Amino acid sequence: MSRVRAMPRQHLVAGLCLLALILYPIISPWEPYPQGVILLGFMLAIQASSWNIISGFAGYISLGHSMFLGLGSYTVAICALRWGVNPLWLMPLGGVTAVVVALLIGTVVLRTSGHAFVIITIAMLLAAQILAVNFKGFTQGSDGITLELPFWSRDYQNIPFYYIFLALLVLTVLYTAWIRRTKFGTGLIAIREDEGKAASIGVNTTRFKIVGYAASAFFIGVAGGVYAYYLTFLNPVGSFAILGSVVIVLAALTGGKGTLYGPVVGAFIVQLASEAATVYGGGSQTRVLLFGAALVAVVLFMPAGLLPTIEARWRKRHPVTVEFTDQAGALGRSPATTRERALEDVAQAVADDLTQGEVLLEVRGASKRFGGLVAVDNASLIVRKGSITGLIGPNGSGKTTLFNLITGGMAADSGEIYLQGQRIDRMPPWQRGHLGLGRTFQVTRLFKDMTVQQNVVAPLPDSRWRTMFADAVSGHEAARAGELLDIVGLRRFAGERAGDLSYGQQKLVELAQVLMLEPQLILLDEPAGGVNPSLLGRLTEVIRELNERGITFLVVEHNIPLVLELCDPVVVFSRGRSIAEGPPGTIREDPVVLDAYLGDDWRPVPDGKAPNSVQTANQTGAR
Amino acid sequence: MTQLLQALVLGLLIGGVYALMASGLALIFGVMRIINIAQGALLILVAMFTWWMWRETGIDPILASVVTTPLMFGFGWILYRTVISRIRDQSASMSVLLTFGFALVVEGVLNVVAGNRFRSATPFYFAESFTVGPISLPKTQVYGFVAAVLVLAALYLVLTRTWTGRAIRATSQNPSGAALVGVGAAGTAALAFALGTATTGVGGSILSVLYPFFPASHYDWISRLLGIVVLGGMGSLPGAMVGALILGLAETLTATYGGLRWSTLVFYLVIMLVLLFRPQGLFGAKLREDAA
Repeated sequence: MSRVRAMPRQHLVAGLCLLALILYPIISPWEPYPQGVILLGFMLAIQASSWNIISGFAGYISLGHSMFLGLGSYTVAICALRWGVNPLWLMPLGGVTAVVVALLIGTVVLRTSGHAFVIITIAMLLAAQILAVNFKGFTQGSDGITLELPFWSRDYQNIPFYYIFLALLVLTVLYTAWIRRTKFGTGLIAIREDEGKAASIGVNTTRFKIVGYAASAFFIGVAGGVYAYYLTFLNPVGSFAILGSVVIVLAALTGGKGTLYGPVVGAFIVQLASEAATVYGGGSQTRVLLFGAALVAVVLFMPAGLLPTIEARWRKRHPVTVEFTDQAGALGRSPATTRERALEDVAQAVADDLTQGEVLLEVRGASKRFGGLVAVDNASLIVRKGSITGLIGPNGSGKTTLFNLITGGMAADSGEIYLQGQRIDRMPPWQRGHLGLGRTFQVTRLFKDMTVQQNVVAPLPDSRWRTMFADAVSGHEAARAGELLDIVGLRRFAGERAGDLSYGQQKLVELAQVLMLEPQLILLDEPAGGVNPSLLGRLTEVIRELNERGITFLVVEHNIPLVLELCDPVVVFSRGRSIAEGPPGTIREDPVVLDAYLGDDWRPVPDGKAPNSVQTANQTGAR
Repeated sequence: MTQLLQALVLGLLIGGVYALMASGLALIFGVMRIINIAQGALLILVAMFTWWMWRETGIDPILASVVTTPLMFGFGWILYRTVISRIRDQSASMSVLLTFGFALVVEGVLNVVAGNRFRSATPFYFAESFTVGPISLPKTQVYGFVAAVLVLAALYLVLTRTWTGRAIRATSQNPSGAALVGVGAAGTAALAFALGTATTGVGGSILSVLYPFFPASHYDWISRLLGIVVLGGMGSLPGAMVGALILGLAETLTATYGGLRWSTLVFYLVIMLVLLFRPQGLFGAKLREDAA
């Protein structure tokens, strides 16, 4: 809640600063030196804000972002010379080149997750410098390119540039703010927090990262074009400088990466410090040393950055009490009518392609090995539409691995998997999500630093661009997330950080999150694990209600009484394959199952009152 | 034909030196998942130090590695204990930024102390060559290669024959498993980092005679090394060896037939191609990545 109220204050301060910066050259026009320093601050802020999209939001650090400045400069300079046009008219072209190059690099390197990206970004920056030197016919090599002088009268000095860069900065900040509001921005942050989980809720991580990288290149490219005109000269060493990238990273890091205004604040701090160092600190020779030391210091002592650190302090002083332990609140029902409507909306989303009892999910002979260990061994499984199918078996029998094969977290070594008759085992996880396959995790994997609301709004039910760029903060998507929170009874926690909720509440939020996918089939991995009895009752009730409205469930669970009560049919797994299947009554007396899993001391109560034996069953299950 | 043979032999010789330099990077990444961007800067630092010792005392630059290697081992150990270990709990990207910042500090210090100009150690055999049939082998290249191979062999023995070495390899394959059998993660990491840094001792001393260098040339070196480990598979020592030989050959062949100014681009081209067609590298294996 405090976050919501803090926002306008931030914008107010930003607006006042903007006003002051607009008025400054008008009030005192004859101060070219401070104006020049501020102008460079604008440019650095544009770059740091853009960098923030891929490296702050999505968490993929780029160490070569100044390459886009050089690309923009060269594009605009070369075209201006060839066509005899004023560079200012061509500045969008600089952005276009930057985006195209980012798309190419991103397509190569961002298909996988991990360390390759940062290496590539440095390598491409250095390669760009060499290419600019070597392609003499095109770039005039090390000699560099000289551009015409600005067309306006000298009396105006660099004031027009001042306003152009300021305008670009405002556009860049608005643009990152917009990205942050969309499901695209939420998806980028989801990738930063947990890339595997993001893929499981329908986020096409490859596309998101590539688009994010391209989006982070555009305004730097545009600024590069203007910068070339401002300097009226460019050469490979100056345009593709490593130090330029260092300053970008340093600025964003200092102010606070991942925040809206952090990179801008950081840019001005770094720009002023750099200027002071040049004037008082012995010239540009020492800049490398200073920037390097500053980078080391920020990483070691203030990794979160200035604005988040201040915000955390402020919150510590002004705590907001939220009763997280309030069970009644957690269990409290939302108004019955809203809840009923929300459930109806879920029912609407479940398309009626299949009638009850038809095969929804089929696994045929799937296998998965880890070295010599065969986790899933030629397993077959059928889940029928409208059922709550239980999957039980001893630890290490391959249940979770089978889940991972079905949802695409891992690739099967052999075998086939079909959802509604469509083969899905070669599809990436998000595509399976779009087809109506959702899952929760054994240990909840919410995006802990995002709010509950953002967590629920993050999933994408389809692959359309319209969905990707839909507003996530207000409007239809946000309203739907609220409805889904109503279903699990947690709407009043919508504004809280997900990591602050109790474990059982997180499980409910994860269920609401999966519902955003508009799933046909939900895979629940140990829904009852670590959940207290009253919350568990709530959970089973929600599962039943959703099942009545057409959603099919496949449940892995060790709490046998719960499985026998909730599920039909029950499948028993042992050593990577199914050894028995049938209605709960049959399973509990099957000698094979007793031998492999339940154990001989599992004695069903004669009159069939399973709940009486909850205690013993829990203990048996846990071992 | 002679030209080709000459290029091939020279490529292998330089590949051996690259293999030594890249092994440190691969070792550190394998154990700690840290890309040590400072590896290039440390090479230049040692090269500068070696050059200075050679000029002051006349000690042979390649033999000077007897001094520089233990020095760098200690330096790496202290660096890990005082700086790198502080960010163990943070995301991997922060460690990249930290080592990158450290590389800049080294470059900046060298800039201030030694000035921004090219240097090269030129011992008496600098211009001499061995002649084997039609091909001539510069003595510096041969000595550099021999030193590199000796140190690599020593490193291999340490990693396979000592308890410490086995602890390092165990940690790189399965950190939690290694911890379970009593291998302390922090101590092992410090040793691995120190060993990885020690390779820059020999590497830097060899560098000082093979190539002219100046403070900012660490970028060339780190991009070479990154190319090698990406090709070989991040964190794989055998991969780094093979990657180094391949890139050494590729660079020499490009320089012979395509001109010197294109040879540096070979590394960037290789990085891109590897990531396009085999992102895990030649020897990279996909481990079981699911947790919990």
